[in-house]
Amino acid sequence: MSQDLYINLFRRALLIRRAEERIIELYPLDKIQSPVHLSIGQEAVAVGVCYALKSEDWIFGTYRSHALYLAKGGDLNLMFAELFGKVTGVSGGKAGSMHLSSPSVGMMGSSAIVASSIPHAVGAAFAAKHRKTDQLNVAFFGDGALEEGVTYESLNFASLHQLPIIFVCEDNGFAAHSSVQARQSFDRTALLDAYNIPTRCVTEGWDFEKIFEAMSDLVKAVRQGGGPKYLEVKTMRACEHVGPGEDFDAGYRSREDFERWIVHDPLICDIDTLSKVEGGVIEAIDSAITFAEESSWPGPAQLLTDVI
Amino acid sequence: MGIEILKYGDALFETMDGALEKSDSTFIMGQGADDHKGIFGTTVGLAEKYGADRVMDTPLSEEAITGISVGASLNGMYPIMTHIRADFMLLATNQIVNLIAKYRYMFGGIYKVPMLIRAVVGRSWGQGAQHTQSLQSLFAHIPGLTILMPADSAAVLSTYPYIIHNYKAPVISFEHRLLYELDFEIDRQQILSVDKPLSSRLKCVGSDVTIVATSIMVLEAERAAAHLKESGIECDVIDLNCISNIDKGMIVESVRKTGRLLIADTSWKAFGVSAEICRVICEASPNILQAPVITLGMAPAPCPTAKTLEDLYYPDLYDLCDAICRLVTGSDKHGIDLPKKKAMTDTYKHFRGPF
Repeated sequence: MSQDLYINLFRRALLIRRAEERIIELYPLDKIQSPVHLSIGQEAVAVGVCYALKSEDWIFGTYRSHALYLAKGGDLNLMFAELFGKVTGVSGGKAGSMHLSSPSVGMMGSSAIVASSIPHAVGAAFAAKHRKTDQLNVAFFGDGALEEGVTYESLNFASLHQLPIIFVCEDNGFAAHSSVQARQSFDRTALLDAYNIPTRCVTEGWDFEKIFEAMSDLVKAVRQGGGPKYLEVKTMRACEHVGPGEDFDAGYRSREDFERWIVHDPLICDIDTLSKVEGGVIEAIDSAITFAEESSWPGPAQLLTDVI
Repeated sequence: MGIEILKYGDALFETMDGALEKSDSTFIMGQGADDHKGIFGTTVGLAEKYGADRVMDTPLSEEAITGISVGASLNGMYPIMTHIRADFMLLATNQIVNLIAKYRYMFGGIYKVPMLIRAVVGRSWGQGAQHTQSLQSLFAHIPGLTILMPADSAAVLSTYPYIIHNYKAPVISFEHRLLYELDFEIDRQQILSVDKPLSSRLKCVGSDVTIVATSIMVLEAERAAAHLKESGIECDVIDLNCISNIDKGMIVESVRKTGRLLIADTSWKAFGVSAEICRVICEASPNILQAPVITLGMAPAPCPTAKTLEDLYYPDLYDLCDAICRLVTGSDKHGIDLPKKKAMTDTYKHFRGPF
C-alpha cells in the first residue's frame, strides 16, 4: 500500500467525518430542516469501496447517503447547499439529506426505502452487460436490507444473468434500534452460496485500506467477467439511527463496544496524517457552508418542475 | 392508405415489433414474454427475431424486475415490462410509487426513467377477485406517473410508438383483455396526424348527453350511442385515453353543450375516475349541469367468480342505455326502447367491430 493511497483514503474519510461533525454542530440552528442519518464511524466502508471504482462505475445507495456521495467524489458545496434546502443544491433542494446523488461522478441515487435501490444497481449492470461496456455497478445497503424480499429477487437475477455487480453490505448490526439477533435466522454466507455469489467479509470496518484491497480484488474479478460478488464490512455507527445525537444511554447497545472499536479508528489515532490533511478539509467545509448560506431558497417557480 | 381492419392484439404486436426493430436499446421483459403464447400473442416470435436478451422471460420477482427496469433505463435502455394481469403489478407498487414516480422530481430533475409497463385487465370466465382489477385510479393518484388506457387499435398505434420513442417518462398502460380479440377500423393517415397522443379523444358527437368513458367502456358507450340514436338521443362520447392527463376543456365544453354527464369506467366508482371527472366539473363550472351526474362501474365489492354474480357485477349495454335515458328524460320510467339485457362478454364472443 503506497503512502499516497493511504493519504488519499484518509483525506476522503476525514472529509466525511468532519463534514458530518459540522452537521451536528449546525443542527440545533435549524439550518438543516430534514432528518439526517449520519455515517460517523462507517466512513471507511464508503471510502474503501468507492476508491476501488472508476468514476464511470455507478453506485446506488441508501438514505445514509452523505458518505457515499462524498466517497464517490460528489461536490461538497452542492451537498451542503442541498442539505440546507437551497436552490443551488445538487438537486435544487428537492432531495435533501436522504437522497443525495451526483450522476457526473456515478452516484446514481439513494433511497429511503430499505433495499429499494438494490435492483436499480442490478438493472444498471444488466444494461452495462447488454451494451458491452466495462462499467461496474455497486449496490450499497445495510444489514437490514438482507431481510427484504427484493434483495433476494435481485441476487437471483444478478446471478442468473451473471451481471457485473458488487453487493456491498454495511453491517452496523442494527436496523434502527433492532439488533441483528432479533431479526435474522439465517446464515448469510450459506445464503449467498445458494445463489452462487462469492462473498468476502472485512471485520475491521475502520480500516479503509483493508476494505479497499478486498473491494479491488472483487472489482478485478467482476471486470474479468466473473459475475456478481458480495462484500460485507462490519462497521460501527457512532450516532443514533437518525439525528445528530448519541444514543448509548437508550439501552439497546453499549458504549463499551463503541469504545473498543474506536481505539482502532485511524481518523482518531493517526495524529500525524491528521495534522497534514485536516487544514484543507476544514477549509473546504467552511467554504461549502458559506456557499450554502449565501445561496437562495427554491420557490414557487420550482415547486412543479420535473414532475413528469 | 384508407381504412383497414386491425385487431387490438395485432396492433399491440405491431408496436412491440416496431419498437424492437427501431432501437437496440429497447427490450421487453415479463413473465412468459418469450413463450409460445407471448403475452396473448403480442410478443410471439419476437425473442426469436430479436434475440433472447431483447425479449426476456423473468423470474417471478415483480418488484426486482421493476427496479431493474429503473437501473436499465438510467443506463440508457428502454424497458417494456409486461404483466399478464394488472393485479400482479401490485407486487411492484413499492418501486412504482416510491421510486419510479419520484425518480425525476426527488432528485431535482437530474434523472429521467422512461419506460413502459403494460398491465392487462382481466374480465369474464370466472377470473375472480385477483385477476380482474382495473387499477388505473390507484396509480393515476400518484404524481409522476402517466397512466394510459388505450381503448382501440388506433389508440394503441397512436400512443405506444410515441411513448417508446419520444416520451421521456414512465408510463403504465392498462390493456383490457376483452379488447385483444376485437377488430377495429383504423386509418393510418389519421393516426400519424394525431397531435397530442396522450390526451382525451372525442369519439362520437351528440348534443343530449356527455359520456366520459375509459378502455372497453368507450366501446360500450359508442354502442349505447348507436342504439339510442334510433330513439333520437344523441351522445358525445369522450375517451379519456390518458387517465392522468385528461382534456378538462373538452369535458367541460361537452357538458356545457349537453348539460348531462354519464361517466362509465372499468373500475370501482369511489375515489376513482368517476369521482375525478365529477371534481373536474365541480371545480370548473358546476352550474352547467342540468341533471345529477350518473356514474357506472363495477359493483363495490371484490369481483365474484360465479357467472350469475359476475354478470351482475359489471354494467352492461342495457344499464348504459337506461342510464342515458334516465339522464335525458329525468325519469326512471322513460319508456324508451332498450337493448336486451346481455352480459358484455357474451356479446363479444360474437362481436366484430367496426367500433
